[in-house]
Amino acid sequence: MKRPRKRRRRARIVIPVASMADIAFQLIIFFMICSNFAREAGIPVKPPTAPNLDRLRESNTAVSIDSRGQIYVQGRRVPDALSVEAELPGLLRNARTTEARVVLFRCDRAVGREVFEPVLDAIARGGGIVAAIGERDDRKK
Amino acid sequence: MARRQKAHMGVDDIPVSSFSDIAFLLIIFFILTTTLVATRGLLTEFPSGERSEKQEKKTTTVCLRDGRLTLNDAEVDLPRLRRELAALKLADRTGQDKVVILESAGRVEYQDYFEVMASITQAGGTICIVRETGGGQ
Repeated sequence: MKRPRKRRRRARIVIPVASMADIAFQLIIFFMICSNFAREAGIPVKPPTAPNLDRLRESNTAVSIDSRGQIYVQGRRVPDALSVEAELPGLLRNARTTEARVVLFRCDRAVGREVFEPVLDAIARGGGIVAAIGERDDRKK
Repeated sequence: MARRQKAHMGVDDIPVSSFSDIAFLLIIFFILTTTLVATRGLLTEFPSGERSEKQEKKTTTVCLRDGRLTLNDAEVDLPRLRRELAALKLADRTGQDKVVILESAGRVEYQDYFEVMASITQAGGTICIVRETGGGQ
């Protein structure tokens, strides 16, 4: 007499994917909060080099001078250093701490004194603390 | 038959199966566009005030003129400037004694100016810019 074969029960493996979208959106929120979008991405600047440069914290205020000597405040072109001095008090209006007064100064290495010096002066007169951006080059030690 | 069709129309499921795909695409976008490179540079607060001849005589003065670098009227190169400024122990000083006057004239590129600024800042000095035209700060 043949015994009826018992049917083997196959275990169904189910990967829970219902929470995948939630995880993904959490990650997106994380990246959105942590990202610093380059406000001045379109401005061609070759920063100067020097050894032992410190890490700078990001700032909400930025002044740039491109290789052609054109001046930008917050990524917007301004005619001269006087405009920088005029615009900065407005931008630093809510700056209560020293850190909030930091102005990122991005200037092309080939720009001449007659262009960058009045701008540095204007930032100082406008109440900003200059954070001059450069690239670390330890070969120059 | 008509009944059945009505029953089918009543199901209002929003298709969410592609949500995770969209989300992961957005993540990839953020990963690619986020800059993880740290911004480097130097932090300087230029002091404001009037130019005083009496004070200038005592204060350390670095001058950049047409590619030539001088420290208190003696010609130096950049490594020597760094050594001399380190010897002054500016970091241990306070107030006005920390001030180093940075004067520039003629043709000076930002690269040279930046290197001098970095040398003064790293030595613990406070930079005071003196411009050739329009007086100092």
